[in-house]
Order: sequence, then structure tokens, then C-alpha cells
Amino acid sequence: MKIEGTYTFSAPQARVWEVLNTPKHLQEALPGCEKLEEREPGKFDVYLKIGIAAVKGSYKGKMEIADAEPPHRTRLIGEGKGLPGFVKGEALIQLTPQDQNTLISYQGDVQVGGLLAGVGQRMIGGVAKMLLEHFFKNMEKILKLAG
Amino acid sequence: MPEIPRKWVGKSMKRKEDLRLLAGRGNFMDDIRLPNMKQAAILRSPYAHAWIKGIDISKALESPGVLGILTGAEVAKMSQPFPVGVSAPPKYYCCAVDKVRFVGEPVAVVVADNRYLAEDALDLIEVEYDPLPVVVDIEEAIKPGAPILHENIGSNIYNHRFFKYGDMEKACREADLVVKGKFKFPKYGSTPIETYGVIASYNPFSDEYVVYNNYQGPFVNHSLVAIALGIPENKMRWIVPADIGGGFGTKTGMYPYVALITLGAKKIGGTVKWIEDRREHLLASATGTDRVTYMEAAVKKDGTILGLKDKAIDNTGGYIRPPEPGCAYRSTGNHTGAYQIRNLDREVLVVGTNKCLTAPNRGYGCQELYFSLERLVDMVAAQLGMDPAEIRFKNFIQANQFPYTTATGGVYDAGDYPKAFQMALDMIDYKKIREEQKKARAEGRLMGIGLSSVVDPSVTNIAYVTIGKTVEERRQERPKSGSGESAVVKVDPLGGVHVMVCTNPQGQGHETVISQIVADEFGIDPKDVTVSNVVDTHDRLYSITTGSFSSRFASQGTTAVVRAARQVKEKMLKIAAHMLEANVEDMVLQEGKVFVKGSPEKSIRLRHVAGVAHWDQSALPEGMDAGLFGASLYSMPTSQPPDELDRVNSSNTYGFVAEAIVVEVEPETGQVKFLKWASVHDAGTIINPMIVEGQVMGSLVHALGGTLYEEFAYDENGQCLTASFQDYLVPTAMEVPKVEIGHLETPSPLTALGSKGTGEACSMSVPVAIGNAIADALAPLGVAIDELPLGPNKIWDLIQKSKKKK
Repeated sequence: MKIEGTYTFSAPQARVWEVLNTPKHLQEALPGCEKLEEREPGKFDVYLKIGIAAVKGSYKGKMEIADAEPPHRTRLIGEGKGLPGFVKGEALIQLTPQDQNTLISYQGDVQVGGLLAGVGQRMIGGVAKMLLEHFFKNMEKILKLAG
Repeated sequence: MPEIPRKWVGKSMKRKEDLRLLAGRGNFMDDIRLPNMKQAAILRSPYAHAWIKGIDISKALESPGVLGILTGAEVAKMSQPFPVGVSAPPKYYCCAVDKVRFVGEPVAVVVADNRYLAEDALDLIEVEYDPLPVVVDIEEAIKPGAPILHENIGSNIYNHRFFKYGDMEKACREADLVVKGKFKFPKYGSTPIETYGVIASYNPFSDEYVVYNNYQGPFVNHSLVAIALGIPENKMRWIVPADIGGGFGTKTGMYPYVALITLGAKKIGGTVKWIEDRREHLLASATGTDRVTYMEAAVKKDGTILGLKDKAIDNTGGYIRPPEPGCAYRSTGNHTGAYQIRNLDREVLVVGTNKCLTAPNRGYGCQELYFSLERLVDMVAAQLGMDPAEIRFKNFIQANQFPYTTATGGVYDAGDYPKAFQMALDMIDYKKIREEQKKARAEGRLMGIGLSSVVDPSVTNIAYVTIGKTVEERRQERPKSGSGESAVVKVDPLGGVHVMVCTNPQGQGHETVISQIVADEFGIDPKDVTVSNVVDTHDRLYSITTGSFSSRFASQGTTAVVRAARQVKEKMLKIAAHMLEANVEDMVLQEGKVFVKGSPEKSIRLRHVAGVAHWDQSALPEGMDAGLFGASLYSMPTSQPPDELDRVNSSNTYGFVAEAIVVEVEPETGQVKFLKWASVHDAGTIINPMIVEGQVMGSLVHALGGTLYEEFAYDENGQCLTASFQDYLVPTAMEVPKVEIGHLETPSPLTALGSKGTGEACSMSVPVAIGNAIADALAPLGVAIDELPLGPNKIWDLIQKSKKKK
């Protein structure tokens, strides 16, 4: 399943890049994230608790930030599994300066399995978009607080 | 059997079951609570095809309330794969061992103090999977290079057989034309209100098991589970409660869970309960068998069908398990339908894909067959410029030809197909509606008339499943045959009549029907008859064919009841003759009294006869046992093993259904509207018309679902997309059109009352009749209808494509 979209931050590109690459901020901003541990640079263990289409559950997974070209683009690779099934995905994230703002655009491919697919597949596109929206909004708050 | 006056049979007597069911006082699986009962939850595979590289249960074992966990590795040590009647069987255990082959396949089972704690512990089990390529399409599965599900088989073909009946080559030479078609029947199923349920107890002191479950039969699977678990059959007692909330075939597929929970009980040395939840049911219980069919008919210009050639590819999913490959063979005896077709070439392939496993689904094997055969008959008519009704009349078996032996070995017991079919045509005013259709077409409206005429087989002869093996393979084994069902009738010391059966009803009203029948036998009131209907392998007479499946109660079950009742009656007449010092031949039993023919003043009340049999045993004729009981486990004599030419009478009684349906397709939306619908049935003698109407409407609506709404859909990764009722659409009362039902009663000579089965009838006749109606509606657009379901999106697509072509 393909997902894509954009989000505009009211902060300069370098600053957005910095916050996006700070594990502490990632953990704060990721919806339902209970723990994010950096195993080695750019590779994380993630623990999430989220509900998708009436399927609530805990997921444990790995996330990787690869092919980073600061402050322009990076690739996000993730996979997680839990009782309701598994999620696997990859997304290309690009940052483009727009005056004092930064436009983030993302394109990705997500595969889901198990109960999550059986019950929620129709909604996953929408839910993924919503979760990303949350993530970016949280990031925006962090950016403001961090000044 | 001698005729007796019938006061109750044939009446729409209200159901004895309904008061308790309506008051919420039924006794279903989840109502059963045993002492110290623990609960199980099942971990299921999220992958359609993957190696299991490791399972770590250490954290889960430490979780609160967890008493034990079984994984595939341990299941493989405690049990064997289930036997199945194909030459190269896959290793199917009740839990995945080293590989998963469909989403939802059990991987581990946790037993804990309650279900919540068991579910919580599932979360802590770590399974490492190594995903493999997936195959979900029937025909892709048999192409070279397809991912292989079972390494020990080496291909995805579970069963492959060729059959020749008559001489199809000669038929083709004599034919004026050959009409060919390819048809796809979808994977849809039954969604009973009550899901699977099992409570298994293990007694470590006696090494015995008691297992409550809502398995619907056939009880051959009690033997198979005993073999798979290595437990002597008499040490594993199964009890099925009196109420089951629907089965429709799906519950013939639950025995692997009975086995799994039984192992769970053994693991903890106690009692374990498991009730399947709805998602588990939709994801992984059992669906109907989907099929791709290539069929061709050799025909004369006048419409005579000389022969058929048929290649069917059935998909039983990740494994094949009994009663599969039954779907391919259940229709053997009636494979040529209602027609005099003497030549048939058949090829059967049963294949595996990474999808949920199958079990019979109302109309087993026949909905698939008739969707091809009856569609093809319409296609032949269209090519010949004949009316679809006319071509059917041309080929029907005639009333004076019964009993009619088909080319494939079926023995049709009774019927009058032209008459019943004509009734359906008359009910929709066929000639007039064709005129109306002409007008509608002239106005650009898409109106269509769909017909179907099908032979509805009931009372399975278990012999048919064995033709999955070749004649040579069958010679190595004992033949199998039979259709037996049991009944015990007792008269108590005060004259009350009690019937014990294990016909395993799932809502069909057996208590009511048995009371009607026995009331007539003894000349008493049905309210004075009590019926106990539970399966108990320790306390009931049963055999491997016991259960409710293949529409067998109304003919097979009732015949056993009558035979048992007549044994008691005979004994009562003997006792009465002895007491009245008369000849037993002169005795008559009527209205609760026994009297001497011609002198009703010399009579004795039934309860006094019973009194003597119990209270004054020395007064009985010399040599006679005390008490009053009769027992029958009757199998129909027509249930014979297959012959050397693979001919087999796959069922015993054969009903008939004619559908005539008028639809209009809305071109803007693809929606189908039903304008008229006549459904005519010949189920032999009708015992309770109200119950028959319920069965007819039930199978009709079930078929409506499979035709227009229901399908277990999978994505290309083998993920099931329909694991909730949000996505798996079952028709509700809102979707049910007005249907006019008609009956013709040609009594079966094989059954005590002349009745035949009818519970599956419309499942076979409706999908193709609606298909034919939609095909007729869209005929002006040149659109072919060759697959189901026919949802608005599919019909709309077909209409758009036809516009592009033009």
C-alpha cells in the first residue's frame, strides 16, 4: 500500500533536520511510542502501543534511518510486530526550504499482515496518514518549545 | 413399510425448541461450566507462508495465571497428522509445526486461569518467521515455478483423477456443436451465530478424556481425532449439547480444534475451555471450497445434450483435510444433473494455496457443479437460438424413468422434473414475462430471466469420498459405504414415550419433527413424546455417519426413528395379544389403545401394556424380555461402495429444485433488483411445512449472500481482507426479496415417510439462477457472466467494458 503526503513546518530546514534526527524528540513525537532505544547510530528499537480500526495492541519493532543526506533527504525503514499482526514499510522523506518554512514530503510503501490486515486494511491508509499528521504536529510543538 | 393414519405428519406444528430458545434458556457450548475449568487462547500466524525459525515462550510462561503452553513442536510429539483420503497427503497437524501455510493458522495455544490472562500471554510469545513467497490463485498454484506449500508432496496438487463414464468421444463425433465455458466459483462460507467451542477434560488417573464440543458430524472424525492423538476411541468421550447455533457445514471443520484443546487438557492435566471469537472464525475456521471449472457440452442442433466434459480445480487452501476432497466428489452420482446425459469425461484436481482451509458449505460440491452446468446449458440454448426453458424440457429425465440410474452411478429415487419445472414457469407467468422483457429491452432497460433446474442430493453415502483414490488404491483397503443414523424409542412404566437420538441438530427442529412422527406411530399427542437429542459417544448409539450434514435428517434420521418405534409397537402388540388372548395379526394400535380388529370393545390402553412390561414382568409372553424399547441404526441399502468403473451412488435420496427469477439491472449503479422469484421444490413427503419453509428460505438467503455479497478476499500476500462483518458482507432481512415457494411431493420409496432432504436445496439452484438472470439481462451488451460474487462493482465494470468495446 502506497502512502504519500506533505507537511509544512514553520522552522528553517536545518533546525527541522536536527530535531527529526534526535532520538529523544522522535520518541516524544511518535504517537503511542513507549520507548525508543538507539542500538547503534541510526538504528532503533521501538515499542509502540496503538489502535488501528478497533485493533489495539502493542508492537515491538526496528526502525532505521538510512541513506541520510543532511539536511535534504533520508530514508526511513521500519518493521514492527505484535499480537494484531505485523507492519513493514519504507519511506523516503525530503525536506525543502520555503522561505523561513520547511516543506516535508514523504512517499512510502507499507505492508501489513495478520489481524491488522484482516480487519483494518481498508482503513490503514487513512490511519497511517492520521498518525503521521500527529507525528508532525508533535514535532512542530517540540520545535517551538525548543525554541 | 406399512402405511398408518397420519394425524401430525404434514402439519405445521409449532417448534418445541422455540420457547426455550426465545427465553434464552438454550444450552449452548458457552453455557457449559465445569469445575476448575481453565481457558485457552490461540496464537495465530500473521503470515500466509513462512518458516517458523523459533518460538520463545519463556516470558509467556511467567505471565500471571498461565498454566501451560503448547507449540507445534510439542503437538508433533503428542500427535500424528490427520489421515485424509488422497494418495499424497500433506502433514496436517492441529497446530503448525515448522511452517505456516495460511494467515490465522494456529502456532501455539496458551492455557491460563481465564481468557484475559491467556490472551495477555499470547502477546509475550516471540515467534521468529522467515517469510516465503505466497500463492493465492488456483491456477497459478499449479504452474511450474509456483511456491510449493508442502515439500513432501513436491507440488501443490493434493489429488488428481480422471474419470470416463460412457463414451464422450463418440458423443463429440455425433454432436453438431460443442459449447465451452470457464467458470469460477468463489470462496465463501457460513457464518453461524455460534462459533466453534470446545471444553476438554483429561483425567490423569483413568487416562480418559471427556470433550464437550459443538461439532456437527459426521462422527467419522471422532475416529480420525482418536487416530491422530493416539487415544483409544472409547477413552475419548465426546458430548455435543442439545443446542448448536448453526452449522451449515462449517462445523464439520472444527475437529482439529477439538484435537488441539484436548491436547491442551492433557498438558495441564485438567479441564480447558476455548470459544472461538468471530475474527478467528472468519480468518481461520473453514470456508467453502472455491473452484475453477472448464466445462464443455456436446450437443445436437435440436438441443439434445449428448455428453459433457468437465475439468474442475478445487482449492482446499494450505492443507487438505477430511471430508475433502469430498467437494470434488460429492456430486458424482448427480453430476449430469436433471438430464439424460449418458457420457461424461471428468478430470479433478484438488490443489493448495496459502488460504484458509475448507469444509463443506451448504450445497457442498453441488453449488460449484451447478454454477457451471446450468450456466453452460443456458449458453448452449443461446448458441442454438433456443429458449432456456425449452432446452431443459428437451433433456429432462422423465417421470416414468424412476428409479433412474445416472451414467455416474447415482440412483435417483423419485421425481417429476418437467412437472416441477413447469410449476416454476407458471408461477412467474413465463410467456408473459418474456413479452414484457421484449418491451423493456426496446426501452433500453436491462431486464433478465434466470432459470435453473437441479437435482438436490441428500443423505450422503460415505463411499463417495473414497473415489479420490484410484480403483487400484481402493483395492488395497476395505471398502467404505453407508449412511446410518440411529434412534432409540422407549416407553416408560407409565406409558410415556421417550426418543433418544443423536442427530445433532443445529436449529432444524428435530425435536418437533420426531414428536410428530412418533405421535402418529403410537396414536398419541406430540406433547406426550419427549425427545433427548445429544451426541454422547459413550451413552448413545452412533456410527461414523452420525450427525447433521448433507440434509440427512428428514429422510435418514426419520427412518431410523420410525424403525425403532415400530419395534416397540410390535412388542406392545404381542403383549396386548397375549393379554387379550387374541392373535397378534389381528391387533390394531390407534389413539393410544390396542384393540382387536373388528371388536374395538376388546381393547387395552397403551399405558397398561407398558405397565405390564415394567410392573408385572412375569405376565409377559414366555421368553420375552421385560421393558419396552426399540433401537435402530439404519443405513439405506442404496449406500454401496464405488464400483470398478468409479460409479457410485453418492447420495441416497434425490430432491429437485426449479428456480425462476426475474431481475432488472440498474445500468448506472450495477445494482440488481428482483422483480419476481419462484422457487419450486420436490423434497418428497413434507413432514412439517413450516420447518421446510424455514429451510428453503435459509438456504436461499445463504445462496443470495454467496451470489451477490460474500467472499473471503485475500491480497497478493495471502492476507485475508475479510476478517470482520464490516468487510465480509452477509445479507440481512433488508436484502431478502419476496419469494414465492411451491412444492411438488413425489414420495421417496426409500424412506419411512417418503421424505427427502431439503436443507441445502437453494444453495445449489440460486447462485446459477441469479447468474443466468443477470446474464440474460446483460445479453444485449454482449457481456459474459462466468464468476461470482456479482456485486454492483463487478456488474458496473462489466457494463463499462462492454461500452468500451462498442
